[in-house]
Amino acid sequence: MSLSFSATSTSCFGARTGSLTLGRPSATLVLSTPGLIVATSRGVVPHLSRDQYKRTPAIRCLHVPFESFLEQSPPLPTLQPGSHPLHTFIGFDPRKHILALALRDPADSRETPANGTDHVSAATERGIKKVTTEQWRTYVRACTPDIVVALTDIPWTPPPFSQKRLTKSIERSAAWLAHLLAPGPQPLNVLVHMAGGISAPARRAFANSLMETLHGQEAGNVLPYRCLDDGVAGYIFDLIPLYCAINASTDATSSDPPEIAGLLKASLVSTSPAKLRVVNSATSPHEILRLIRDVGVDMFDSKWAQEAAHFGVAFDFIFPVQKSGSRRDIGHNLYRAQYAHDFSRFADSAPACLCASCAPVAPPSVIAHSEFDAHSPATSPPAPYTRAYVHHLLQTHEMSAHALLVMHNLTVLDAFFAGVRGVLQRGENFEEQVDTFAEEYDEGSAIIEEARMVWKNVEMARGKGRLARERMGQKEI
Amino acid sequence: MSHFEILARCPTTRARVSRLTLAHGPTILPTFMPVATQAAIKGLTPQQVESLGVTLILNNTYHLNLRPGVQVLSEAGRAHKFQGWTKNLLTDSGGFQLVSLSKFATITEEGALFESPFTGEPTMLTPEESISIQHAIGADIIMQLDDVVPSLTPDHARVEEAMERSIRWLDRCIAYHNSSGNQDTQNLFAIVQGGLDFELRDRCVRAMIERKKNVSGFAIGGLSGGEEKGMELNVKQCAEKLPEDRPRYCMGVGFAEDLLVCVALGVDMADCVFPTRTARFGVALTFQGPLNLRLAKHAKDFAPIDADCPCPTSVTLHNITFQARLMGGARDAISNGTFPEYLRTFFARYFGDVGYPEWCVNALRSVGVDLLEGSDIKVVPGSGAKWEYSE
Ligand SMILES: [Zn+2]
Ligand SMILES: [Zn+2]
Repeated sequence: MSLSFSATSTSCFGARTGSLTLGRPSATLVLSTPGLIVATSRGVVPHLSRDQYKRTPAIRCLHVPFESFLEQSPPLPTLQPGSHPLHTFIGFDPRKHILALALRDPADSRETPANGTDHVSAATERGIKKVTTEQWRTYVRACTPDIVVALTDIPWTPPPFSQKRLTKSIERSAAWLAHLLAPGPQPLNVLVHMAGGISAPARRAFANSLMETLHGQEAGNVLPYRCLDDGVAGYIFDLIPLYCAINASTDATSSDPPEIAGLLKASLVSTSPAKLRVVNSATSPHEILRLIRDVGVDMFDSKWAQEAAHFGVAFDFIFPVQKSGSRRDIGHNLYRAQYAHDFSRFADSAPACLCASCAPVAPPSVIAHSEFDAHSPATSPPAPYTRAYVHHLLQTHEMSAHALLVMHNLTVLDAFFAGVRGVLQRGENFEEQVDTFAEEYDEGSAIIEEARMVWKNVEMARGKGRLARERMGQKEI
Repeated sequence: MSHFEILARCPTTRARVSRLTLAHGPTILPTFMPVATQAAIKGLTPQQVESLGVTLILNNTYHLNLRPGVQVLSEAGRAHKFQGWTKNLLTDSGGFQLVSLSKFATITEEGALFESPFTGEPTMLTPEESISIQHAIGADIIMQLDDVVPSLTPDHARVEEAMERSIRWLDRCIAYHNSSGNQDTQNLFAIVQGGLDFELRDRCVRAMIERKKNVSGFAIGGLSGGEEKGMELNVKQCAEKLPEDRPRYCMGVGFAEDLLVCVALGVDMADCVFPTRTARFGVALTFQGPLNLRLAKHAKDFAPIDADCPCPTSVTLHNITFQARLMGGARDAISNGTFPEYLRTFFARYFGDVGYPEWCVNALRSVGVDLLEGSDIKVVPGSGAKWEYSE
């Protein structure tokens, strides 16, 4: 399968639209950018069943962290037969879904033991597993994901990091990329994580090492590529390690902390603007808009939107903004008691959300289990799910709440990106729209934080409830 | 009122196929009802449940009365609208869960007295109150409040008292229901009690049949599956005596073998939390017996749970589909006159490796089906519930 990206803008930085095209014998998949990458955990979109993937067109491109499969040896996806082993193993449709495979979960900020010269420490539920560059290559070749993220030496020991550590990180990351790019049965579509931590010079140095023409043995190892960058389909930025390091550095010194956009630009200034740029762990529409505006990032993971659903928040924002004259939150914390009697749909924004929760569709056909079973379709379409119903489901720990909210939040986020592309394609004043958005919606993720706290308390109360139930034996029916 | 029509009968056993038409459309019986305790079936949307070919589900009155409460339900336009379910719905009386989940529940002639889990105040659930709450919920089938005692209670006098009281409470439920104006859309079912005592059950059945014109169906209560010795005898006794022209609902039954035995004895409806609850522990139901997907021996098995199953894979969806296929297969077999073979094939596939539960063999013999005919599968005493234990 071949992957190609084309951006509308040829300048190094600044907002741009583009399209990512994946060609396979069975289908050609095209993603418009800026756009989203859906996060998976253990191979599934948390809270959704496979039939719900189909009802959520926002689910087109997914990020699969491989580390959760390391509990079994060999990892099970590598044993899956067929032409699309990873798709088949975790239940995605090669004609509809693009899968990007990375070793680590980019949202996991836990401390892990230091990486080695040729291995990364990955986190599994049964503890830390070392994964060598050779193993990674084997796993990738066996799973055949559409996109693969090269191993990177991101230190997950406590920051700050010495100059020496940064140099080592850059050298290892480049060597590991070269190892993955070594000739194989088919070329891989590789994203490289831009190393260098929060040091702009180190980031520039890493980018330069990708662009350097290789000679002799080094060149032979990555044939037919002239430099590492030739073998790379795009650049990826994980923000969590950057934020961790920034926080640590501002604790230690009182100098101005580096800005994320500046760090990304340091990595990109010498690279080709025609390549895909992906950011993991941006956590608000505001941050996403800034990275699109200032850097020209093309894709963002949606883990934060899925997590908000997990905590009971229904998104309610839209781009470009329709001014309401008052400042709003980006969503509703449906745990709040005020929603118990609120029978409106999840989002007030117009046009109305088209997700499977806000615009449910009666099943066109149902399974017949006997000759007598005749499907009598409803005469009117089902009503949108309400805030009151989801409030009830959250209060009673019913998992359907999260399924309904995940489908909704992903759809709102997808529509947000479509709105961004629309403004850019129509040549409207994007900067002005970004400012208007920031005036309309509160950036502080207070609403998500509040929901997270309530959720924690409910989980604790629930734990107590479960104990009480266990004491009562099997009485409960 | 509901419309109940028998479509086919098994020439051998007492099984029948029927159509029960309620305010939210027809449901073909025999059927299994998945339980949506809190107005949701574990992680599924109503559209998903409907797509599996399910047309009748159960909500628990006790839970819905606590949360969201009748106020919210009536603001929403009753439970169907609240949860987005457009097919048929049944609610229980709330009594059983009240007695089993409250610490200090006591039964008086007036009703069940319990401590409110929210305020700690003494609260009374009377037959009238139960019907009133069920009216507010708005289910198509509502259940009388009955006085439930565990079927193995040794205290015969208590079992008798509970049975007699259940009849008196039925009268109060009927009176309240008939004066409510809800009889056109909601259908009251009576519940036969009497523990495992043949004589008490008989008296109860007779008393309830006398009230037939005021009830749309009859439930067999106080039993919960084949693990209780003698359950099948009581089901047989009740099903034989209950009127032909009313649906018969066996409460709390959900294991595949229990369901098919009950159908053979003349039962039309059953409910149980088992298939959805067991899914949460990774147990998938199959025609070869339950499969614990969390066992390491299944980890490298890339085959689908059941290649013939039409469900979109997720264990909860699969288990609901399994129950529906089991009952749908029974409907076709009853109408084709092949129900005895259907039973023999099911039991051979399901229990062939471990042996037939003795009570199933006996129960089916009593309705003319001999599982052992032409079979060399052994018979095992006890419940015979088939299970893959976790490691
Ligand atoms: Zn929506
Ligand atoms: Zn299935």
